[in-house]
This record gives sequence, C-alpha cells and structure tokens, in this order.
Amino acid sequence: MPTAYAFYLTTILVYGAVDSMACLALNYEFGFAGVSNFGFIIFQAAGAYAAAILSMPRAATANGGFQQYVLGWNLPWPLPWIGAAIVGGVVALPFVFLVGKRLRGDFAAVGLLVSAVLLNELVKDYVPFLNGAAGVSIVPAPFQSKWDPQGLGYQFAYGGVAIVLTIAVYYLLRRVTESPYGRSLRAMRDNDIVADSLGKNLRKQRAGVLVLGGALAALSGAILVGFISLWAPGAWGYAETIVLFAAIIVGGAGNHKGAILGAILVPLAFEEITRFIPPVANPTLIPALQWVAIGLLIILFLWFRPNGILPERRRLLSTGPALNTVEVVPDDGDSDALIKLGNVDQLNFRELLHLDNTVNDNRVILSTTGLSKSFNGVTVVSDVSIEIHQGKLTGMIGPNGAGKSTTLAMLAGTLRGSSGTIFYDGEDITSMPSFKRAQAGLVRTFQLASEFKKLTVLENLVSAIPKQSGDSFTGSLRGKRFWGSEDKANIERAEEVLEGFGLSQYADTYAGGLSGGQRRLVEIMRALLAEPKVLLLDEPMAGVHPNLAHKIGDQLTKMCESGMTILMVEHELSIMDAFCDPVIVLAEGMVLATGTMAELRKRPEVVEAYLVG
Amino acid sequence: MSSFGFGLITAAVLAIATVGFTMQFAVTNVLNLAYGSVMINSAYVTYYLNIHHVTAWVALIGGVITGAVASWCLNRFIFTPFQRRNLAPITIVIVALGVDLVGTFGLQAIVGSSYVAFHQSAGNEYHFLGMILNGLQLIILAVCAAVLGLIHWLLKYTRLGKAMRATSANPNLARNSGVKTQFIISTTWLISGALCGLAGTVFAMNTGVFEATSAQLYIVLLLAAMFLGGPGEPYGAMLGALIIGLSTEISAAYINPQYKEVIAFVVLLGMLAFRPYGIFGSEKTL
Repeated sequence: MPTAYAFYLTTILVYGAVDSMACLALNYEFGFAGVSNFGFIIFQAAGAYAAAILSMPRAATANGGFQQYVLGWNLPWPLPWIGAAIVGGVVALPFVFLVGKRLRGDFAAVGLLVSAVLLNELVKDYVPFLNGAAGVSIVPAPFQSKWDPQGLGYQFAYGGVAIVLTIAVYYLLRRVTESPYGRSLRAMRDNDIVADSLGKNLRKQRAGVLVLGGALAALSGAILVGFISLWAPGAWGYAETIVLFAAIIVGGAGNHKGAILGAILVPLAFEEITRFIPPVANPTLIPALQWVAIGLLIILFLWFRPNGILPERRRLLSTGPALNTVEVVPDDGDSDALIKLGNVDQLNFRELLHLDNTVNDNRVILSTTGLSKSFNGVTVVSDVSIEIHQGKLTGMIGPNGAGKSTTLAMLAGTLRGSSGTIFYDGEDITSMPSFKRAQAGLVRTFQLASEFKKLTVLENLVSAIPKQSGDSFTGSLRGKRFWGSEDKANIERAEEVLEGFGLSQYADTYAGGLSGGQRRLVEIMRALLAEPKVLLLDEPMAGVHPNLAHKIGDQLTKMCESGMTILMVEHELSIMDAFCDPVIVLAEGMVLATGTMAELRKRPEVVEAYLVG
Repeated sequence: MSSFGFGLITAAVLAIATVGFTMQFAVTNVLNLAYGSVMINSAYVTYYLNIHHVTAWVALIGGVITGAVASWCLNRFIFTPFQRRNLAPITIVIVALGVDLVGTFGLQAIVGSSYVAFHQSAGNEYHFLGMILNGLQLIILAVCAAVLGLIHWLLKYTRLGKAMRATSANPNLARNSGVKTQFIISTTWLISGALCGLAGTVFAMNTGVFEATSAQLYIVLLLAAMFLGGPGEPYGAMLGALIIGLSTEISAAYINPQYKEVIAFVVLLGMLAFRPYGIFGSEKTL
C-alpha cells in the first residue's frame, strides 16, 4: 500500500501546484488589479487544449484517428507548455474590449462569465475543433518516450517541476505587484475613474493584466493536462471559476500567500476530502453538496471575514516617524478644525510641481467654444464658451444643477461633450481621452470622496507622480534595482508635501480611514503630485472646516503665483470673494456672467439666479 | 412559420423572467445571478404539488408564491445586509453566484438528478397563420400576455408603480420626496419574485422534462434580453425578450439548432461592449 500512497501524494503535489498557480494568476487579476475575470477558466482550458494538441501527433495518424482535433504538431517538451502560455495571452486580447474603461465592473464580469459558457458550448458542439464533448485524450506526457510516465520517480519529478514553476510564478507576480506598476494596478482597483483622471491608461493596464494572468492560467492548464493526459469541456464549466474565486476570498484577495493558502484549502481539499466519503445511494449527492459548500463558503467568508484568512498587507513606505499604528481616524466632525497645515509656507511649489519653466504670461491656456452636453434629450450644459487664463485662480459658481461639475468633467475628459470644442495650450483636445489630458498636465479632482481606500496616504500621493520608470509592466520586471532609487526620491517628495500639509503622521494609514477634511487634503496633494499645469478642482472645500478652507485657499493662490492655473468649482461664496478672480457664473447650463466677485454682486440677474434658482 | 410560434412562446416566458430580473436590478442595483435557481426551485414546488394530485394550473400558484417569498428573503436577508456595508457591486454579484450554487445544488441534493415532467397533457394542436401551437402553449401565451398587461397597468397607473419607478430612477430623491423606499424595494422583490416563480414554472412546463440544473443557462438569455432593452427598464426587457426569443428560435430553423443560443450570447456581448445602457437607453441611466 505505501506505493499507492506515494502515487496519491504525487497527485496531490501536481494538483496543489496547478491550483496554486491558477489562484495566483486570478488573484493578480482580481485581488490586485480589480479585474473580475469571471471567465478565468477559459484561459486554463485554452492552455490545456493548446498543450495537448501541440504535443499530440496529427489526428488522422494517432490511434487510428478515433478523435478529431486541429494542429497535432507533435512538439517535444517544453514547447507545448510555452505555446500554451502564448495562447493564453493571445486569447486574453479580445476580452480587453469588455474590461475597457467605460463598462461597470460587474457588467464586464457578467460578460466574461457568459463568454465562458458560450465557448464551452461551442467547443462541445463543434467536434472537428477539439473533439467535442468527449474531449482530447491520450495526451502525451513530457519525455514519455524516454521515461515511463507511470513510474513513481517520473511522477515525483513531474510534481517537483510543477512546484518549482509555481514558486517561480509567485516571485514573478510579487515582483510586478510590489513595484510602482503594481501600485497603479491597485489604484485602478480601488477607483478606476480617479486613476484614469490621474493619467493611468486603464485599457492598457487591464490588457496587460489579462494577458499575463491568462498566460499563467494557461500554463497551469498545460501542467495539468500533461499529468492527467485528457481534457474535455466537462472539466471547465463556468462554475469552476467560482471555485477559484472562493479560494481567493477564503485565502485573502490581494495577498499572494493568501492565494496559495486558498488554493490548498478550497479546490484541493474539497476535491480530496470527498474521495474519503463512502459512496451513497444517490451518486450526485456528494458533488451537489460540494457545490453547496462552495456557495456557503463564499457567502459566509464575505460576511464574516471579507479580507480572507491572510488579508492584504499594508505597505509601509514612510521614511519618517509615521505612526504606523494609526489605522482609522475617528471622523467626529471636529477633527478637521484641528488640522494644522504644517510648514506649507516653506514649500517651494515651483520646484515641487516641476513648474520651473513656466512663465506667468496670462495667456489663454484652456478654452471652450460652444461646449454642450445633453443626457437623454435633457440639455445640462448648453453652448458654454469660456477662457481660462494662465496663472489665474478662476472660480466657477452657480446654483445646483447649473452644469458646473458637468463642464469640469468635460474639460477633464471624464465626460465626452455632445458638441463644441476644447482647446488646451493651443491644441484641440476635444477628442483626447482623459488619461492623456492628465498626462499633458490637465488634472482634475472629484466632488465625492475619491481616495484610493486600500492604499496608504503616502501611496495615494506617490501613485499620482507621472513618468515613473517602474510604472510599466516591463519596468516592474526589471526590478527594484531599476526603479528603486527613483521611487525613493518620489516617496521623499511626497513626504515633503505631506509634511507641508501637516499629515505626516498619517503617511502609512489607509486613506479610506481618514476623516472627511483629511481626505480632501489627500486628494488635493495627490492632484498636485500629478504635476498639473492646469488644476480643475470640483468643490474642494465641501465639508471642510472654514478655517482650513481659507488656509487651503492661501496655498492655492501661492501655487498660481508659482505658475499653475486653477479652475475651481465652489459653492462657498466667501472662498470666491477671498481667492478667485475672475469668477464664471453658470445657470441652467449657460454662462450667465464673468467678472470679479465685486462686479458680479452688482448684477441683478446673477444675484437672482444664484439666490432664487 | 412554425419556428415563429416556438419563438413567440420562448419570448413570452423570457419576457416574464426578464421583467422580474430587470425590476430587481432597477430598485436595488443588483444583478441577481441567483435568479435561475429561484426559478427552478419554484418549478419544483409546482411539480410536487402537481404529482400530489393538484392540477398544474392550480399548483402554479404554489410556484409563484415560492418565487415571491424566496426572492423577498434573498433581498431581505442577503443582499440588503451586504449592500449596507457599501461593498462594490461586484462583491454582491459574487454573493449572488454563491447563492445560486446553494439554491441549485441544494435542490439537486434533495431531489436527485433525474429528469421529471408535469402530469398534464399538451392539449389539442391548433393551426393558424402557419403556426402550430398546442393547447398548453396557447395557455402559456395567454398567461404571459395577461401578466405583462398587469405589470404595465401596475407601473403606469398605480401609486405603487410610480413609486417603484421613482425609487429606481433616484432612491435618495425618492426617499426625500416621501416615498417609503424600503417598503417599495421589498414589494418590488415580492412582485418580481412572483414573476420569477411564474417564469420558472412555465419554463419547466414548456421544456417538458427538467431537472435541478435546467435553468442554469437560462440566465444568459435573461441577461441578453435585459441588456438589449437597457438594464432596469421593464418595457425594454419585454422588447429585448421578444427579440431574443424570436431570433434564437427562428435562427434555429436555418442553422444547426445546437448553436441557436449563440445569437443570444453574441447580442449580449455586443451590447455590453458597445451600448451597455441598451438600444434606447442613455449613459446617464447607469
């Protein structure tokens, strides 16, 4: 019997490695980048099929041609595995259109789920492609002409190779996720619209994530098929993806070790434990109960332990004496009043914001002509033509529903205008996507809280810094030696800003745990670190204590003196009085007037629109 | 033309199901992927009443009640508590998938995996306009038409319907305007659950034989019909169901019937990619 146990052990090793690799890949997509790939099993299946048909002989000659399939290239190991990984990456590409920027995460997920169902049905029904529902069988094991695949030594060696590859995948993914690129992925996960507004190319990031995740999933499938030597549609029903999601939820999303733990606890243990249950009268009872258990596991974990057994680690970046223990700041309403902007007066904004070459020349830097927007036939912004002058702190006021935020969103590219043109620095940017506008220096903030919740305050700030050499997939692969010193300088720059705004002690606190006023500050600081030439602020003072609001206003004025341009939407008239010149008044989607606050107060139509409307 | 008749039946059942599904999405912003499991559980309740000598059409009421109560409980005890935690919509969808597994396979664990059928005759065949429909199908069509008419009346002419539409358009504004949104949401889940139970039962009747996992792929047709008409739009759902139901059945006459669902998949993926707010919707409604 000991040999039987030894063979069983090798099976466990291979399955454990395959499940772990798959969970690592899915966790990279879902836990780190927020791409809910409900069609994940497609990629594992594609890898298994690819490895199978690349290693099998031509269908007509093999075993009397009892099965039909394409290719049949009879390639020696490791080419089928490499080919499988490539196929997995290529299969990901058509799905990029689903996870592109404009689709809600859950809608995209449903699309992927449906794709998994569809592809499974097609493969099942169209026999000549991959032998239909029966699937491909007698897939050659690597080196089977030299060694006996049924030998114990071979099986242990196979398990060993599978484990070594899984460990390699672990280190590869860790290298990627713990880089500035990984930080951008997590920022996208926490709030994709905001990441976009800070210059992150969501489509490219998500495509990269799907391709790498797909390639790794495919590799796991290739390893599996080489061991079990058959692969059929029954093995990759869409619900298999749910098992892997359950594993990640149990283990801990956003934690590589958690993914491995989940793989061992859920797919592996669930399969194996049921082997030891004595047979019962109803043959579907045990598998049915297995599915019930998976479902319950998902629901109960998401309720009682949503971050899993091994939650995501907090990344402590600060070099100073940050209070690492601060997890959550109580939002008691008064805490804002206590915020003292630090040594902000000593901050050299010209240097900090890389405005060194900017000359305050009062030219028109941002303008619109005939900008309009309608939703469902309702016009929200109508024929707005404005000019924003360089170095000015321009205000924008108007009653609720006047179209202020919509105008700002169109300037930043968050929304596409229905008609009209936008010029920025002499260039027509009407159809430029928002992340490119941000990269060109046109950066916005949001009216609603928009911090990256599960990034620390310092990470929030650093993530916005443009042109980081580690902020690309290839950059991240080159490792810390490549991007480390630059990242250190970036962190120090962010810390300097943080200190200036008096929030150093929260450097390593999750931004989601700050009070309302503090979060506004984080957002402003983050926008500044994106190095804007023109900063678009959407009600930055909303919910901020008046004392603090005026301190922030002073700093905004100083930034404009240093060469930056600001357009600020704000309700608080005292802020407009104190800091903004000129001020644009919008009412019912149209520009009502433009001028200094003193001039505007004399105009009856403005007073009426603002007070009555 | 006979495929047109089949298509009409499929569309009628799908319309009932999709209207319920889309109403749930409208008031709670949840893509309730557990919908198929509630459908099939309701069908089984009807089936058990039926084999215990209750006429199928009376037993149907049991299925409708099951759907209503199960859906109400689902919202009250699962979705609402999770939503109170301000989780991302995707988390709720994952929870719904978990519920679907529990509902479908819990049923399978109890009833086993053999196929069952209702005790009723399909009735005489009727020929008209080139279509061949049997008595059962005619009754299904009549029931569906009546229920859709009822839904139309509810949404258009009753205070409850108006409150539902207000809650769906903007829950905060509705609450501030004096609509008891919690009550409206609960009621919506009861009504949509009743539709779900009805749809599950007539789906099973129309299929002939069924088992616990028979409705698992139905969710794809549902989603296709919903996204075609615009998520959260009951009238869009009816139109979407009509298009999907007819196109799948009519296409089956020309291509290999095994691929007839492909058209629904393609429609769904196309809508998600290019117009996720439906053919007539606008982006603001999302």
